[in-house]
Amino acid sequence: MTREDELDALVPAPDGDDDITRRVFVHHLTFFGGGVVLLGGCKEDKPAAPPPALVKAPLTVSHKTFTDAEWATLSAACDRMIPRDEDPGALDAKVPEYIDRMLQTEALQQMRANFVPGVAALDRRAQRMFQVPFAQAKPEQQDELLTLFKNSGEKTGEARWYEMFVVLVMEGFLGDPSYGGNQGEVGWKLVGFNLVGRNVKGDPKAPYDGSQRLHQLVCGGGKGC
Amino acid sequence: MAKDSVDVCIIGSGAGGAPLALELGRAGFKVVVLEKGAWYQQADFVHDEIMNSRRNFFMPLPWDEPHLWRTEGQPYARTNEAWTANCVGGGTVHMSGYFYRLKPIDFRQKTELGAPKGSNVVDWPITYKDLAPYYDKAEAELGVSGNAVPHPFAEPRSGNYPLPPLAEHPVSAEIDKAAKSLGWHAIPTARGILSKPYRGRDACVYCTLCGSYGCEHGAKSSTAASLIPAAIATGNVELRPKCMAKEITVDAKGLAKSVIYLDADGVEQEQPARIIVSSCTAVESARLLLNSKSSRFPNGLGNDNGLVGKNLLFSSFGQSKATFSVAKRGAELPWLTANMPFVNRSLQDFYVMPDDRFGFRKGGTLGFMWAHPNPIFAAVGIARKGENGVFGKALKDKLRTYRDSRVLEFEIYGEFLSNDSTYVGVDPNVKDKFGLPVAAITIKRHPLDFTMTKFLVDRGEEVLQAMNPDKVDRVGTAGETTILQGGTCRFGKDAATSVLDADCRSHVVKNLYVVDGSFLPTSGGVPLTLTIAANSFRVAQKMVASLKK
Repeated sequence: MTREDELDALVPAPDGDDDITRRVFVHHLTFFGGGVVLLGGCKEDKPAAPPPALVKAPLTVSHKTFTDAEWATLSAACDRMIPRDEDPGALDAKVPEYIDRMLQTEALQQMRANFVPGVAALDRRAQRMFQVPFAQAKPEQQDELLTLFKNSGEKTGEARWYEMFVVLVMEGFLGDPSYGGNQGEVGWKLVGFNLVGRNVKGDPKAPYDGSQRLHQLVCGGGKGC
Repeated sequence: MAKDSVDVCIIGSGAGGAPLALELGRAGFKVVVLEKGAWYQQADFVHDEIMNSRRNFFMPLPWDEPHLWRTEGQPYARTNEAWTANCVGGGTVHMSGYFYRLKPIDFRQKTELGAPKGSNVVDWPITYKDLAPYYDKAEAELGVSGNAVPHPFAEPRSGNYPLPPLAEHPVSAEIDKAAKSLGWHAIPTARGILSKPYRGRDACVYCTLCGSYGCEHGAKSSTAASLIPAAIATGNVELRPKCMAKEITVDAKGLAKSVIYLDADGVEQEQPARIIVSSCTAVESARLLLNSKSSRFPNGLGNDNGLVGKNLLFSSFGQSKATFSVAKRGAELPWLTANMPFVNRSLQDFYVMPDDRFGFRKGGTLGFMWAHPNPIFAAVGIARKGENGVFGKALKDKLRTYRDSRVLEFEIYGEFLSNDSTYVGVDPNVKDKFGLPVAAITIKRHPLDFTMTKFLVDRGEEVLQAMNPDKVDRVGTAGETTILQGGTCRFGKDAATSVLDADCRSHVVKNLYVVDGSFLPTSGGVPLTLTIAANSFRVAQKMVASLKK
């Protein structure tokens, strides 16, 4: 396998999804905000190999999904996606922390298996093109690489990874702060989302935790959820 | 070991299953409702976009429980399209609650307009008159707010809505003016949302976060807020959440005997009943019947003629958006800054065309609304992907432009012409997390659907342009709304050409009913939730009569 096609192998393309481009605009997504493709692809028919151990290398910071190198790459990519200017950016919102935490969710291990190798691949590509890790490349070089992934064609692993990345960044930037991103509600402020009521009847003193709530409601707090 | 037999076992608690459960319970029959999803309470409905739209709160994850999807001639792809919510109340929990009725012509489309070549449009075995009293009943039981105004395309009705219309955003009056200037009629859209307290439920508080969220006030007329509590209160209805039906078994005489299901702990159970009802959406009911194979029914339960799963219907979809810059236009258009959520305007001037000069006869409805406020969805749409995708400073500037604008949009609910190449099957090689073969959807759109949708989108854009926005963007004219689904078990008079009789009972299995969107022979040009509920009330009356015999 050449390096060029490694991402295709890592993020297997669903068979024959020509119609997905047309369907992407379809109404379903109006309600469900991203839906199908973005959740990450498909499960192998044969039982998937167990995901690698959750902690792959000694970690010096609070991230659990990514190695230190991957963490640096992810953070740099998030920063290029929504940089800080006169308004706060992805790092101010703690988008990488959100992604790291979210991909620990047991129900999303399939997505994790699809997403994490793409981060490593981004770094390898930077090494090959610029002879430095992605995080140490110049902003223009980082943008060049992200653009390359973005534009690499509907069916490629790079494009699929980029799509997943956009959704994860937006979740982390604009989702409920209890999931770890959107700290200080900086994302909501940027887009003027001031309708937030959460639970209008909820107890304002009781801290809300979306992940925990979801875990309780969908699977009764049990495993596999 | 099988549980004690009951009179009726209903699989699904949404718009199809809940009315039946209520009416049977009121009539004194013992009912068990098996619901695949969780039983959320009002306090569980939090305005959390990640939970509601990005996780398995409503929809299963595509790797846990995929649907397969292909356009005819292509290989299948896995998707979570064509699921509706998996929870008590089903799709009515997160619906927007656009509660339209069908029109008399929808029941007689073939006779009145003919079946376009390549379609297999048929008349219904009942008429609008047969269903009209049950529309009245469904509107009253669920709680519908609206104002029926006379217009050239109005369907007959016995009176006004049970509740007055919800308060409207001032833009509604602007739409009225724009439509009038074009010679058309902007009519109020009825909503399954309470404008006043009703039957012990609270009225809407206009929180602005409605469609795709559950309602923490119970003001949205989901079956979970309205019919289910009433059904439980009869003392005759037991609802079992997190119970996934695997199969409907048959006895030696070929009658439906029991439902085999996995309970909340994953333990297999058997619920026998005198009558078994599948009410788990057009796609999933077809899947359940096709997965219920026996020596008597080797091709699936009640599928002697091979028509179970055939004639799948969605709703033809198109959309455009008008952007108004608040910064630039706020002084000129003072209504821009009002914060009321509901636009509630529809255009039905193109529901049926008088002739075929534009290439089609059966059209649909345009519904106007503010763009959905979910910021994650909006931002993903703004960032886009591929060559059109933007990131960095360009993306941030677009997000700020979005912040400083208001987006008014319309969407189309158009006829989806039924045809032999659009259907649901099951794929024995692809199984969900329960080990059950998943639904496999094949779709072939009739070209007239696109001709029609484009025509309607063009007209909608003329309305938007008449309001003088900064710009109008076309989202598309060739989509389908898969949460609005029907077909797969057509009802009809002829057992050779339909799956169900006029009472939604299987032609061949005399104690099996399918009561959701599956019975629909044609899609109509409106969202179908109210019609599914009304039909369930109609079937309930027939079923009660037959049980009393």
